[in-house]
Amino acid sequence: MAARPAQPRPAGDGKEDAVKGREAPGPAALHDCRVVESRPVGAYRLISFVCREIAAAARPGQFVMVRESGPALDPLLPRPMGIHDIGSDLISILIEPVGKGSGRLAASKVGDRLAVLGPLGRGFDLQKKGQAVIVGGGIGVSPLKLLARALAERGRSMRLILGFKSRDQAASAGLFRDFDGEVFTEDGSVGSRGLVSEPLPGCLLPPPEGEPAPEVFACGPGPMLSAVARISSECGVPGVRTQVSVATHMACGVGSCQGCVVAAAGGYVKACTEGPVFDAEELKW
Amino acid sequence: MAGMDLTTRLGAIELRHPIMNASGTFDVLEADAVLQPDLLAGFPFSAYVPKTVTLKPREGNVPPRLYETAAGLLNSIGLANKGIEAFMEEDLPRLAALKAPLIVSVAGERTADYGVCAGMLADRSEVAAVELNVSCPNVELDGRALGCDPDRTRRATEEARQATSKFLIVKLTPNVTDIVALARAAVDGGADCVSAINTVHGMALDPWTLRPVLGHGSGGLSGPAIKPVALRAVYLVSRGLDVPVIGMGGVTTAQDVLEFMAAGATAVAMGTASFRDPLLAGRLVGGLETLMKERGISSAAGLTGRSHG
Ligand SMILES: Cc1cc2nc3c(=O)[nH]c(=O)nc-3n(C[C@H](O)[C@H](O)[C@H](O)COP(=O)(O)OP(=O)(O)OC[C@H]3O[C@@H](n4cnc5c(N)ncnc54)[C@H](O)[C@@H]3O)c2cc1C
Ligand SMILES: Cc1cc2nc3c(=O)[nH]c(=O)nc-3n(C[C@H](O)[C@H](O)[C@H](O)COP(=O)(O)O)c2cc1C
Ligand code: FES
Repeated sequence: MAARPAQPRPAGDGKEDAVKGREAPGPAALHDCRVVESRPVGAYRLISFVCREIAAAARPGQFVMVRESGPALDPLLPRPMGIHDIGSDLISILIEPVGKGSGRLAASKVGDRLAVLGPLGRGFDLQKKGQAVIVGGGIGVSPLKLLARALAERGRSMRLILGFKSRDQAASAGLFRDFDGEVFTEDGSVGSRGLVSEPLPGCLLPPPEGEPAPEVFACGPGPMLSAVARISSECGVPGVRTQVSVATHMACGVGSCQGCVVAAAGGYVKACTEGPVFDAEELKW
Repeated sequence: MAGMDLTTRLGAIELRHPIMNASGTFDVLEADAVLQPDLLAGFPFSAYVPKTVTLKPREGNVPPRLYETAAGLLNSIGLANKGIEAFMEEDLPRLAALKAPLIVSVAGERTADYGVCAGMLADRSEVAAVELNVSCPNVELDGRALGCDPDRTRRATEEARQATSKFLIVKLTPNVTDIVALARAAVDGGADCVSAINTVHGMALDPWTLRPVLGHGSGGLSGPAIKPVALRAVYLVSRGLDVPVIGMGGVTTAQDVLEFMAAGATAVAMGTASFRDPLLAGRLVGGLETLMKERGISSAAGLTGRSHG
């Protein structure tokens, strides 16, 4: 048997092993991305990283699976994060630190490297015409920026309704200053006091003669989505469509593990490949 | 690398390197649609094991089905699958394009199901081997896994053995007192090979509500957290029996592959680590080669069982 190497080598995963020349080159699905921006936005943190390929391909409502690059095995898996915005070669995500994985990602500093898979999932369908009513709750506002931008480019008139628990969450409404948003907080500290579901019925009115019905786009916590789905299905205006983006626990993000399912009319569906955006009427509420 | 031989054999099935995937953790048909490279042509693993299929379709457990714990993953997927008939009709023909031997994993709610499933696959040329997942809740055992009972494990293996001449693997559950006894029962029933380990029973509580996080209550733990448990199982089973062992449980690095082989595995399977990086396996092969070379080991066969002394 050969002599032991003089220096013990860390047992990293393949990606990191490459640096030490112990990995054969091969196709890489993961992008190794450098963080170029990391700043607090109230209770959340905005992180931007460089990835031309994802920036070129991403559509509103899609997500990425992100983790720290490196051999550390805790946190073990990447976390799903909605794509907040894109530049020519930049991706921005907005993170609410709620636990181990999101907390570590939110602590990323400029110069850190992230391992990123994406863009993933079925985003919002932008085919329809008619007034867009965009409803976001809490960290669920994140992917709505890219959506609002895409709808604006298509010349769709829109109403943007953003709801938060408190002032520190509502700071993220500042990210939407290009759009004319209405802000609601549960404690009344910013904007109007109340829930986003309150102004919704007033947005879902019959369109003028010959115009298409309004369309709702929503992302936020489960109870908010179910309220939105109920209100739009009961609004009485024919042809109203509601698209919702759901958040579930994910392991793979690519349809392999069956862990991310949500209940739909015909059984469970995978949020990572069949969603995360669904027609509200497809899902069981 | 010159002079290195990474090929390994499971019976008559030749593997070009020792790293295959673990059932339920890599869906090549789904991933092929999402990931950039053509996975059916450039498959990173040396054999493909699809998600376990059962006689009838299974919806799976109520979500949430996943929760990450310290260096581990808890899952309670509940063997969600489309059923063996739909699998054979829709997936098998597409899998024929795969450039790797196909090992079909089957499970049953009854002992007899194992024979029925193995029989259905018996004359399909796309299928190189059949793996019996004996961790499925068994209706004849009040929902306990058949793999916890040596007698049932032997009988399920016998049923499958009578139904097929294909290479037969029994995948052991670690949730037993004496895993070697279960492995012996499988071999007595006619298994050509055993794989170990399936996930380890576990549970997590929500930090706020203090209620179980998983919809099903408890689940199966996988990933680096279970590696020592798995390594011991592979060591004991491979020392105690004369059939090849496929080792798995937390394989994440080339060093892990090396250790599982040294513990007695003829091949290893990678599960949870594919969620960190779906194409990791292909890149670990080069790493394994380097680690073997540094230790003066020139073949996979020469590595297997190295720890036994
Ligand atoms: C498609 C998609 C897009 C997402 N986009 C964003 C985003 O843009 N910004 C953002 O901050 N978060 C987003 N999330 C949620 C984010 O992925 C989770 O908050 C994160 O995975 C939690 O991991 P953790 O380790 O921090 O929490 P853990 O320590 O695992 O858990 C902390 C708490 O959060 C709960 N939890 C864990 N995962 C989720 C989840 N996926 N959804 C809801 N609750 C969860 C746990 O039950 C627990 O109570 C998105 C999720 C999905 C599926
Ligand atoms: C999400 C998930 C789904 C799984 N599904 C199956 C399955 O259908 N059949 C099976 O035999 N094992 C299944 N397993 C177990 C794995 O194949 C493997 O035995 C176990 O996870 C240990 O390996 P790992 O630590 O590398 O993941 C599953 C594991 C995970 C994490
Ligand atoms: S996250 Fe694995 S199937 Fe959706």
